[in-house]
Amino acid sequence: MSSSSSPMQSTGRKLKLKSKDDETFEVEEAVAVKSQIFKYMVEDGVSNGPIPLPNVNGKTLARVLQWCQKHADPTITEDELNKYDAGFIDVDQAVLYDLLMAANYLNIEELLKLACMRVADMIKGKSPDEIRRTFNIKNDFTPEEEEEVRKENAWALGP
Amino acid sequence: MNAGYSMAGTSNAGGGGGGAGNSNSNGSPITNIAQDHIITILLLLPIDSILSFAMTCKRFRALVFSDSLWESICRRDWGPKSVDALKSSNLHSQQQQLPWMRLYKQVSRLESVSCINLTYTDGELVLPRPRASHSLNFVSDCLVLFGGGCEGGRHLDDTWVSYIGKDFQKMLQWQKVNSGIPSGRFGHTCVVMGDCLVLFGGINDHGDRQNDIWVGQVTCHETLGITLSWRLLDVQSVAPAPRGAHAACSIDDRLMLIHGGIGLNGLRLGDTWVLELSENLCYGVWREILTYPSPPARSGHTLTCIGGTRIVLFGGRGLGYEVLNDVWILDMPETCLKWVQIPYELPNIPEGVSLPRVGHSATPILGGRLLIYGGEDSYRHRKDDFWVLDISAIPSINVQPTTLNSRGLLAKMWKRFQAIGYKPNSRSFHRACADPSGRYLYVFGGMIDGFLQPVGSSGLTFDGELFLVELVLQL
Repeated sequence: MSSSSSPMQSTGRKLKLKSKDDETFEVEEAVAVKSQIFKYMVEDGVSNGPIPLPNVNGKTLARVLQWCQKHADPTITEDELNKYDAGFIDVDQAVLYDLLMAANYLNIEELLKLACMRVADMIKGKSPDEIRRTFNIKNDFTPEEEEEVRKENAWALGP
Repeated sequence: MNAGYSMAGTSNAGGGGGGAGNSNSNGSPITNIAQDHIITILLLLPIDSILSFAMTCKRFRALVFSDSLWESICRRDWGPKSVDALKSSNLHSQQQQLPWMRLYKQVSRLESVSCINLTYTDGELVLPRPRASHSLNFVSDCLVLFGGGCEGGRHLDDTWVSYIGKDFQKMLQWQKVNSGIPSGRFGHTCVVMGDCLVLFGGINDHGDRQNDIWVGQVTCHETLGITLSWRLLDVQSVAPAPRGAHAACSIDDRLMLIHGGIGLNGLRLGDTWVLELSENLCYGVWREILTYPSPPARSGHTLTCIGGTRIVLFGGRGLGYEVLNDVWILDMPETCLKWVQIPYELPNIPEGVSLPRVGHSATPILGGRLLIYGGEDSYRHRKDDFWVLDISAIPSINVQPTTLNSRGLLAKMWKRFQAIGYKPNSRSFHRACADPSGRYLYVFGGMIDGFLQPVGSSGLTFDGELFLVELVLQL
């Protein structure tokens, strides 16, 4: 399934991308350059074959490209974009981390920032126990060690 | 990719974050994220959340308790200028890496300052004469003193410079640099912009209020000596009315904000103006900020810029001659500049009854807070107390605060600090300035209680003492 390019002012040039599980995508140049690595490729002159992306699977790449498309659209207002982002990033953790790592790999700073802020929001204001539950982290402190760490942090967290 | 981001607020309550769904039941997926990303995420959080995260497991505790992360946190919360200044003074004294986490902890738990008398008592050196309502600034590694009023209500027009460099304990050696320009005055303001000084207004001993602007540039070299040149700034717009005893601060090295003061006919003013200087500091343009509500007319108050974006106004003497204690904040840059008053109840603050004051000093110190010292009350009793004003808990219009307590409780706004070591006299209309690290404050002059003498004393004594106020930290 190739991502459909919505009617936008196109330079006509398209990039072909191939995910690690061999899905191919055709993307408008204007959308692809949201990723810094494609930006450089475009500026250097692209090869004819599809660009292989061995670190991103098809599902994630599809999502990322959807985001890029929305963000490359010049008619969208900032308000609409913010609303879109809030909905876009409200996904379960596995998807979230896939998006985060893809945004890093493809060097899409804004998307990386969005994903990081989402994770931060999942941590903010929670007690250690709540954080453990949210992220399924195993508590490997002994009760004594836990008490020691709690004391270490009392200056900021209170007694 | 772990550059510190400034914390932009999201209105996401962060509650049921994305379900338990981790399809790889192999432990927690968050541990699969690269360390760099976890650090980026941590730098978006307030301190208590970072530490709660550290308490979840051994791996994350080790990650959080690393000094390189805390250097980034210090940089985020105190500003890069402070951190760089601390690092370079540390390099100078050749210590190992600074213990950033311990430093952060200490700065947030600060409750005392230590004073050291720096007045050089060797009879051979010429010292600046005692004065009040002068200007004192730290610029280009030097302390610069200009003008002020002295015995007999006379004005002074002398400029004094002392090289300090990175070694803040060195005994000061004052050097008189210029005399004559700018013209003599007191109650003027002088702010630092980059490596220049911008001086505005003041009153001379004929009672003439001024509104001229002077730019001073220090060039100093430890071996070749110090030069300071003053020149008049070309103002290309309507200028604010002439005044003295107003308040001013620089914002981000390119703008100067002023408020109030005593204008022609001795009337107290309540206007706010911004001066924007050209890049080469050759000309400036004034713009009045008209907002309602705004701080009522007053003189002898202070304006201080914290973190390059928030300006705090405090105290002073109002139209009815009453001494004030109100706190106002102006957030920059905003598309719509406006003053916001921060209400607080004096009875809720321990010893708060001593807060109202005029002729005090308010200096930004390490940790993004204001150190307020001295001044006088409505009975003209001079003070010697130190107070720290912390506005980090107060939300600005757009940005959410990074506070110690993310549960939204107002961090203690006012805290009276203990002063240990040398005990300087109570004073008002003195001047104070901090070094780039924000750890040291220089205080010079002011009016202290005079000795009752049978012959011709008004009870007012001008002080010529220079002392250092140091934040009590253990590095």
